[in-house]
Amino acid sequence: MKIKIIYGLVWLLLFASCAQDKKAQRIPLEDFFKNPKKTAFQLSPDGQYISFLQPYKNQMNVYVQKLDGSKITRISSELNYSISYYVWGNNDEIVYLKNNDEKGPSLYVVNKKGEKFRPLFSEGKLRLKFITPYRIIENQLLIAINKRDSTFFDAYRLNIRTGELKLAEKNPGNISHWIADEDGQIKLAVATDGVNETLLYRSKERQPFKPVVTNSFKTKIAPIGFSSSNEGVIYALSNQHRDKMALVEINCVTGKEEKLIYSNDSVDVSEAGYSPLNHRLLYAGYETWKKKRFYLDDSIRNLYQHLEKLLPNTEVQITGNDGAEKKFIVKTFTDRSPGTYYLYDLAKGKLTKLSEINPSLPQNAMCEMKPIYFKTKDHRTINGYLTLPLGFKAENLPLIVIPHGGPTSRASWGFNSEVQFFANRGYAVFQPNYRGSKGYGKSFWIAGFQKWGSNIQDDITAGVKWLITEKIADKNRVAIYGTGFGGFSALHGLCFQPDLYRCGASQSGFVNLFTYIKAVPPYFKPMLRMYYEMVGNPEQQMDYLRAVSPVFHTDKIVAPLFIAQDLKDPRANINETNQFVKELKNRKIPITYLIRENDQLNNLEEQMNFYRQLEVFLSDNLNK
Amino acid sequence: MPKARFQYRRNSALNVIFLLLITLSFIGAMFLAHRLTDKYVENEFNQRKIDVLEETLKPYNEFFQKKVPEISFYQGYLDSSSSLKYADSVFQEYTFVKGVEFYDTEISNHPIQKAFRINHFSMNPKAVYDYKRNKQGSAVSSQRKKTTNTASSTMEEFNHMAVKFALYIESVDSEKPLQSADFISIFYHVTHNRITYMNIPRDEDMQTFKALMLKEQALSPVFQQDIVSFILDPEKLIIKNTNKELYQYIHITPIVYESLITDPDILSTDLPLTGAFADYKLHFSSSRSHLNKEINHRLIPVAFAIVLIFSVLLFIAYLIYSNLNVNRKMFSLQYNFINNLTHEFKTPVSVIKIAGNNIKSAKELSDRERFHYGKILDEEADKLNDLMNKLLSFTQIENHSITIKKEKIDLLVFIQNMVDAYQIKYPDFKITHSTGSVTSFKTDPVLLSSIFQNLMDNAYKYSLPQKKVLNIKVYLEKGNIVFKFIDQGIGIAKAESENVFKKFYRIQSQYNQQGSVGLGLAFCKELVNFMSGSIALKSKQGEGSEFTVVLPFEL
Repeated sequence: MKIKIIYGLVWLLLFASCAQDKKAQRIPLEDFFKNPKKTAFQLSPDGQYISFLQPYKNQMNVYVQKLDGSKITRISSELNYSISYYVWGNNDEIVYLKNNDEKGPSLYVVNKKGEKFRPLFSEGKLRLKFITPYRIIENQLLIAINKRDSTFFDAYRLNIRTGELKLAEKNPGNISHWIADEDGQIKLAVATDGVNETLLYRSKERQPFKPVVTNSFKTKIAPIGFSSSNEGVIYALSNQHRDKMALVEINCVTGKEEKLIYSNDSVDVSEAGYSPLNHRLLYAGYETWKKKRFYLDDSIRNLYQHLEKLLPNTEVQITGNDGAEKKFIVKTFTDRSPGTYYLYDLAKGKLTKLSEINPSLPQNAMCEMKPIYFKTKDHRTINGYLTLPLGFKAENLPLIVIPHGGPTSRASWGFNSEVQFFANRGYAVFQPNYRGSKGYGKSFWIAGFQKWGSNIQDDITAGVKWLITEKIADKNRVAIYGTGFGGFSALHGLCFQPDLYRCGASQSGFVNLFTYIKAVPPYFKPMLRMYYEMVGNPEQQMDYLRAVSPVFHTDKIVAPLFIAQDLKDPRANINETNQFVKELKNRKIPITYLIRENDQLNNLEEQMNFYRQLEVFLSDNLNK
Repeated sequence: MPKARFQYRRNSALNVIFLLLITLSFIGAMFLAHRLTDKYVENEFNQRKIDVLEETLKPYNEFFQKKVPEISFYQGYLDSSSSLKYADSVFQEYTFVKGVEFYDTEISNHPIQKAFRINHFSMNPKAVYDYKRNKQGSAVSSQRKKTTNTASSTMEEFNHMAVKFALYIESVDSEKPLQSADFISIFYHVTHNRITYMNIPRDEDMQTFKALMLKEQALSPVFQQDIVSFILDPEKLIIKNTNKELYQYIHITPIVYESLITDPDILSTDLPLTGAFADYKLHFSSSRSHLNKEINHRLIPVAFAIVLIFSVLLFIAYLIYSNLNVNRKMFSLQYNFINNLTHEFKTPVSVIKIAGNNIKSAKELSDRERFHYGKILDEEADKLNDLMNKLLSFTQIENHSITIKKEKIDLLVFIQNMVDAYQIKYPDFKITHSTGSVTSFKTDPVLLSSIFQNLMDNAYKYSLPQKKVLNIKVYLEKGNIVFKFIDQGIGIAKAESENVFKKFYRIQSQYNQQGSVGLGLAFCKELVNFMSGSIALKSKQGEGSEFTVVLPFEL
């Protein structure tokens, strides 16, 4: 009799464990946030070598291998700072950038065998921008630095052989961007007075720039490339005189838009494929609920379609190629997989796997990210994404709302480790693309201007309420979490929607919009008016900014709070956050306060620690 | 003296001394309690003023810690209208703020004539606003006339702040960001009834200001800073008397104030205020009678506790005393008993001794003499035996060391036998008896005859010679059998009727000179109790006694 009972118990336990297995195994936190082993794959111009970044003693360093994967050589030995940028200077040499906090940016050259290392550029503490980041023409690297005056950037040519730095173009003080053509000639420039942007054009260097068209910052013209057929005609993404960005041809001499190449009714054209090899437009990229391509070139259509056949059920991107455009670096991804890098040889039609981005995350344990939409009170349609935990019924789930940062940005469909981490822990994750988000057209973007603390927040609230009425979310278990503007939204939600949120977490959230505006540094001075227009004018709209800045409303917060703050953050003054935390502590509000040093060396560990504490905070407060 | 040592002692002086001591210590304790409470209250009077200070300055501290630094949150963007709103909220919340001065300050490297300047660093108020409280308590503003001279006394607060700030800017170190501990020394200026505050610029701005000051640069943009000066009125501080029982009056007085009241019954103490009110102090005073009220108030529970302790003490003392009393009575009973017993034993022993001596010394004994001595020896031996039996059985009964052996007896025969035995012994004893309907019952005949013997002995012993009469009645009542022994003897006083059943108790009377140990009735009572019955006495002195024995009736 006894044996029978034990037998039954064993069966019961087995059954229980099987049933749990179906609910997705609990994956360790570290697996979600570990750095990819190999990233930033590039092909050498001659297509004979592949380079990539890989951690060496905790810092990213450059490695080179042959096409077949043999002869892997580490060619850099940086132990204190990770390398964030590198480029093939020619078939033999690689230029890489090291951002030293104390000494400023430095460039180094080393050959593909890791020999002949030499410093190339180090001019002290200044800011450095690349004009043509992934193309070095005849050993000349085009850069822009604010060496002469910290408030604006002059264009320079840096010879990677000799290390000679030559001023290419003096900035009269209002140029914010320099654009070069395939031959490295600076033909386009963008001048700005902060609010209005003027596109400048010249047909040859040494000639003076002539204004092509002037727009306010709300209208954007982003040059893509130069047309080969007609002198002075460029391809650009533009939303001049239209709501949604479109791919167009602009005649820089007349300043007229000559041809509409592609536009989408519902969303912006967000990118365009362009081949500098023969000045070809390849495709127009746009993002509805996910990124899509409209092909403008048959060969590229065939290439992509072939790749999609070889790699079914996944999204395909070409991230790099050799000089002859015969070999390609291909990256795949889905919402449930961070993806894999491949090498594709066009001539042989052969696909070689290079590296999986995060092999420790099994795809079948990841959760699907579903596009959703809802209506607001003022009849606006807001899109967003909902990720439901695997193996749970979509009913009465604990919910985490993650408003994206920016707010000029958007949540996109694809793999997101943070979202997957929360979903794996059993939470539903909601990412609304509230008004003010990028990608849904000009008017939708502008609708968020000066509405940071009002309509934008109402959109988020409406989304949460919709999920509650749909009975997907449990109204007693909703948390709000975000970074930057998302953190501001979280704090704002806790202040003004105390009944909606059980708890909230803010990472570097803006506690005070006055400070946010004040943070526009002197060399962005012309941008100040734009900030006033987007956020609010602190002198004329003081009451509004005061009414929506969380630092003035600590008395309204009742829910438990998690705050992470960088020690040095120009957008959110640590002293203010301290004051904010102090007030809440005095009021006996349960609060977890995490100050992050943002130390380069321990960045990953700090990040893990943040998520570890956040996980505990959420599970404590959402009754998990 | 050794004789006294073993005597029972009774010392009333000791009792009196004990009572005296208790009374004295009680009075002492009460006095001490009063003194301590008095001291305690006096101490409290000097110490609890901290609480009053804390409570009174609470709004001030909140103002200083929270409302003043709020200016920093505006990051220098305050202007005339928004500063009016701010001043208004200050007036609404904090009654002790009398006025607000707002210096809308600009920092640049422009060579401005009337500005505060160090090297290229200029700091000047673009405009100055004064805010006063109107009758409704909200703020009204007035802009100051274009300031003609920054050094003038009206600009004192601005100048103080500008000097402090400029000195700080000069020494600012980008490696060492501003610590919150520095805030108070740099951005606050606290003087007599005044707090001046400037919004804290961001670390990046400090660097910019330093560059403005020390480097030759093109004309810089103009940076906005806000300096706000609050004029405070200590009279408007609301005093929160948290210890009304201690402090009758609390006033805010200048720090140099000395009370001129000479009345020794008025107690007073001071405590200086802090911060902008450092020139003032809280003056606490109370009359002696006010404090006495509090002392008494606190004394009551203490006094109650003392009284309680002493009453418990007295109660225990009483218990000990009464216990001793009982023991004393016990002692005298046993003492008497031994006396009697010795006497009882002595009489037959001496008679036997005399008889023995006579027999020994007689040359020859006649038959009459032999019979006479034999009878005497026999009788006296019987007496001794009887005495010893009684003592023995009594001890046995008391220790429950005998068992009841029940058997059915014929009551009539039983009583007749007893009566016959007594009539032979005492021919002048007239005994009548009636058994009613009861003929037989089940009991231990030995024990029952013991009871009969004792009661009949008593009836005979305590009756006057002409009145030796006994009536024995037996009847049934409520399932019990009742035996009544009614005599016409000397009777027992009512007060003694309970005591007669006690061990070794003998009534002191003329009839009781000898031959009684004081065990008979006690033995009877023990026997009856042992047989689960009861015994009672009804008696009247000079008329007779009636003993009633009730036993459970069994067949």
